[in-house]
Amino acid sequence: MVVVGAGYAGLSAARNLVDAGLDVVVLEARGRVGGRVWSETTRAGALVDHGGQWIGPGQHHLQGWADDLGVTTFPTFGDGANVEIREGRRHLFTGLVPTSDREGSADAVAALLELDLLAHEVAPGEPWTHPDAIALDRRTLGDWVVSEVGSAAARAMITTATLGVFGAEPCELSLLYALAYAHGGGSMSALLRTAGGAQERRFHGGAQQMAVRVAEALGDRVVLDAPVSSVRHGPGRVSVTADRVTPDGHRRPWRVDADRVVVAIPPATQGRIAFDPPLPGRRDQLVQRSPMGSVTKIHAVYERPFWRDEGLSGQVVADTGALRLVFDDSPDDASHGVLMGFLAGHEDRILDGSGTAGRAAVALAELAAAFGPVAGSPIEVVEQHWSAEPFTRGGPVACLGPGVLTGCGPALREPVGPVHWAGTETATAWSGYIDGAISSGLRAADEVTAALGRPVRQGA
Amino acid sequence: MATADELAEAYGDWRGRCNANPRLAKMLRGWDRTVHLVTSDTGEGYTLSVAGSVLGELRSGLVGAPDLVVTATSEDFTDLFWGDLNPSEKYLNGEIVLAGSSEDVMRLDAMSMVAFLDQ
Ligand SMILES: Cc1cc2nc3c(=O)[nH]c(=O)nc-3n(C[C@H](O)[C@H](O)[C@H](O)COP(=O)(O)OP(=O)(O)OC[C@H]3O[C@@H](n4cnc5c(N)ncnc54)[C@H](O)[C@@H]3O)c2cc1C
Repeated sequence: MVVVGAGYAGLSAARNLVDAGLDVVVLEARGRVGGRVWSETTRAGALVDHGGQWIGPGQHHLQGWADDLGVTTFPTFGDGANVEIREGRRHLFTGLVPTSDREGSADAVAALLELDLLAHEVAPGEPWTHPDAIALDRRTLGDWVVSEVGSAAARAMITTATLGVFGAEPCELSLLYALAYAHGGGSMSALLRTAGGAQERRFHGGAQQMAVRVAEALGDRVVLDAPVSSVRHGPGRVSVTADRVTPDGHRRPWRVDADRVVVAIPPATQGRIAFDPPLPGRRDQLVQRSPMGSVTKIHAVYERPFWRDEGLSGQVVADTGALRLVFDDSPDDASHGVLMGFLAGHEDRILDGSGTAGRAAVALAELAAAFGPVAGSPIEVVEQHWSAEPFTRGGPVACLGPGVLTGCGPALREPVGPVHWAGTETATAWSGYIDGAISSGLRAADEVTAALGRPVRQGA
Repeated sequence: MATADELAEAYGDWRGRCNANPRLAKMLRGWDRTVHLVTSDTGEGYTLSVAGSVLGELRSGLVGAPDLVVTATSEDFTDLFWGDLNPSEKYLNGEIVLAGSSEDVMRLDAMSMVAFLDQ
């Protein structure tokens, strides 16, 4: 068995295939495992999560891995007042929604409820089965906001929320896709919440650890620096070629033959693998129409979380500017202060050419506007610009536009001969999240074992 | 702690404002429900119903089968009805507990937020 990609999905598939008694090789393009989850200790000694970091209620697969491996969590810091930047002015608020324009916020809450009620009718795993699927899939979330949400302030709040969740503007997303995605995590409001929602807790020691530990247990079955370039497949047989880095630093094609392959990489990266014979048209169209969102995480590291002394939570919600959402990402013991801002969607693309230094300058000016001049002088700034990562190509997730789910959705998980598909984008719950990645790997492993006539295991 | 009379007076005020709010009327359309309020400190129960986009009067006692049960202190209920308390904070830290189907909880959560913001 070959698994392509050692993110949470690929590792989950591999772990379950090994448990079923199968021989497995995992080919990973990067020199590390974890994919969109990557924890790093900065020069100043702060541990930051450049990608996925939070776990929330209902994410049982990820919680199961953490429990198995003895990795503990702590609540995201949220005590005190949040900062709202609206039309360039700074306000403070507590609770879920900004309160400087109460009518706008009321509009936004009413709109979120409408969206959540719609989302409840969409089956996350197969949104194309909704009776109005075609109509819902022809509109964008942006169209819906324009026609249903009266006030400009409410529209701006929904845009900020969308940027945080998808790394995309509302006009880039099919309404059906956004609804299915929201329902996959419970509701849109659950995706937006810190306490009681998807941003509730963080991992002591970072979110990548579980991937590292599972990879360690898989041992030399996991091959790093092995980007897969082609997959030849015939009935019941595959041959997967990776451009493996040799000890002398050269790249050499390296072929692994197997009965089946689980491809556990983002759709946008699948288009860079040569499939022979080519994939069915609908599958290929799906891949072409699954662009990644645009997101950069910027961490500013300080001696201490000084904003807490002023009764601030470290959270910012902004209607304009580069950083629309900021969180307190300090370690649990507050041995450093860390503010983390998301640069997402259009702004992230516009600032691509500014480079790391240019983005840092913009981010620091905005942090200073929210938290005072001290915030403008951190001891260190680090960023991860996901669009420039060839083996991810953006983030946090694929963002499907109009017509894709109803036209190509059924091809998402359908195996092509001996080729099976995993990855958070294929998940039927918590798609886009680490939890969905793990469950997708489990599902793909079950497909493989069932196809080989092995007993299907139950549970994670 | 708030007395039953104080709570009833605050509810009366809230009800008047909610029923006069067109945004809430739209949110409540087609949502006819029986709601029980339980005060965790004084152990009292109240019943209210929503019918035809209108909030009904507060009745003393737990009457009929509820679609939703809200538990909070008598003080928090009173502050919430006077509009002095942001309900989302109290839900988030678990001081107000809503029990019911996920759709009903979502509705009540959103409508109490709108009632708070839009007064
Ligand atoms: C900025 C950001 C913040 C996020 N925040 C959260 C969060 O707080 N909580 C949460 O649950 N989720 C979060 N996510 C999403 C979460 O990280 C992903 O849903 C999840 O990690 C996806 O796992 P995966 O295994 O499906 O894909 P990936 O993690 O993308 O794994 C795919 C793997 O395949 C490898 N690969 C790619 N191409 C090839 C090839 N040709 N050959 C071999 N290997 C290849 C990649 O290097 C990678 O290791 C966030 C993501 C980002 C980017």
